[in-house]
Amino acid sequence: MSPADVSDYRRREQSVTLSPANEPPNRGEEGRGDHHELLTLNMGPHHPATHGVLRLLVSLEGEVVRDLKPIIGYVHTGIEKTAEDKAYWKVIPVVERMDYLSYYFNALAFCGAVETLLDLEVPKRAQYLRVIHLELNRIASHLVWLGTSALDLGAISVFWYCFRERETILDLFEMSSGQRMHTRYFQVGGVIEDIPAGFEDKLRAFIGVMPERADQYGDILNRNEIVVRRLRGVCPLGEEELLALGVTGPLLRAAGHPWDLRKAEPYCSYDDFDFRVPVGTVGDNYDRFAVRLAEIYESVKIIEQALEGLPAGPYITEDRKIALPPRHELATSMEALIHHFKLVTEGFRVPPGEVYYPIESPRGELGCFVRSDGSAKPVRVHMRDPSFVHLQALAPMVRDNYIADLIATLAMLDPILGGIDR
Amino acid sequence: MTYDPQADALPVSRPAEPGRGAAAYRIFGETLRGMKTTFGRIVEGPTTVQYPEDKAPVYPRFRGRHRLHRFEDTGLEKCVGCSLCAAACPADCIRVVAAENTPELRISAGERYAAVYEINMSRCIFCGYCEVACPFDAITMGHDYELSDYDRSDLIFTKEMLLAEPVERAPLRAAGE
Repeated sequence: MSPADVSDYRRREQSVTLSPANEPPNRGEEGRGDHHELLTLNMGPHHPATHGVLRLLVSLEGEVVRDLKPIIGYVHTGIEKTAEDKAYWKVIPVVERMDYLSYYFNALAFCGAVETLLDLEVPKRAQYLRVIHLELNRIASHLVWLGTSALDLGAISVFWYCFRERETILDLFEMSSGQRMHTRYFQVGGVIEDIPAGFEDKLRAFIGVMPERADQYGDILNRNEIVVRRLRGVCPLGEEELLALGVTGPLLRAAGHPWDLRKAEPYCSYDDFDFRVPVGTVGDNYDRFAVRLAEIYESVKIIEQALEGLPAGPYITEDRKIALPPRHELATSMEALIHHFKLVTEGFRVPPGEVYYPIESPRGELGCFVRSDGSAKPVRVHMRDPSFVHLQALAPMVRDNYIADLIATLAMLDPILGGIDR
Repeated sequence: MTYDPQADALPVSRPAEPGRGAAAYRIFGETLRGMKTTFGRIVEGPTTVQYPEDKAPVYPRFRGRHRLHRFEDTGLEKCVGCSLCAAACPADCIRVVAAENTPELRISAGERYAAVYEINMSRCIFCGYCEVACPFDAITMGHDYELSDYDRSDLIFTKEMLLAEPVERAPLRAAGE
């Protein structure tokens, strides 16, 4: 049989070195049979534990994962290409739909990139409002991660707890911006509307109870025997390897590297707030879990400070060439009406140049690259999505571990397929 | 100022590998603690809404199904067919064909009116840019969120459908709710 006749599956299996018969796989004796044979298995694309439409081509020796290849593209929507055909302000609701759990972060990465190109000063109030919504979004994203991950480990009640708090956050989003997800609240130059009356009280009530609620998740999970056995010491990956793979965010911090762009390269007034960066020690699944849970408390602290120090002033830039004029002026000022027509039909022009604007999303470094040729539409929009980069760290993490730990590791990796495929 | 990453690091705690007694405690004691947390929630009562029977209330800013408006006094349509909403739509789901008002047939308050005004609800992403773009407050995002239908073609909403009062309104949240 010529090599060309060998199927891809077979070729992959042949490339794997089988463990010597007398050497047990990484963890315990149970995973081995008498003879060694590889089984290539498709996990997904419709697998509940893949957190999306992810297909994993897994080569198994008994129960032990010997090789793994993620196959992506099932929810590819061509968002980056679509963005090239839209005026800058119309790109915002489009890019928000990439990583569908951290929509505010997608919007900020894009808006921040465009603001850098425009050399635009964002009013302080807008920055604080952005921080409040970003951190609420970070909590909401971590809550979805925590709930679904606990579900993968067999704990169903945590899921309901997490979605109870997430519901409150989504209600806050609905109150301030009109939509629970994909809010298009952030605009180039600020936010589209000021927060409504009553929002601050509702938010204050929420951040009052949130640490207590997070304690409840900790009570259930932190020292639970099953959770500890499933997570502690499972699938660790060291700092060096993570850095080599380009992994950022909670996964890198779990390995003990306190890299957080909010601290390292403060954007959006993050240097005004006093918060700390939770770090783990060995970078196993338990550290990944503990770091994210601790980040919820830090986010609450940031929201608290942003709410206390919320400055008065405009919520969007006063530059009429970029931001839409206030609605009440449309009826009285001809100039405002002309600006309005011009901005809606054509949009604002952005000086030529290219920029990369990285921010710290719940999953890691989310960067937006925008290239402008001076017209009202971007020439190129590209997102460096953390989930996409982290997916390549999955194989080194789970190699020579049990398939059940693959599910736990994938859950702790927190990949969002909307962001991976874009 | 150079950035010292370690200054703000907050190490998270890890459960130690327990001894025999501690292991027994962790298995039983921690399970009991978890159950205490779970049972403690019973007194809080349910937080769910019995949805199809009880409609979930929305906030004033909620962006649901679009509505076109008329002037209350004259009954003329506010829309003058300027197509700004169609220009602003990121999903390209609005189609406007304008026509001239005549003295015999006056439909809108301006010179022109929208002869055809269609919104393709199966494409709409409810971003609300049409509402932002409209200089005459002719189109607003209403509060209705139950839009599903059996047929895609029924999801193309015509001007008559958008002008009509919605049959069943979603409840609005009271202040402070």
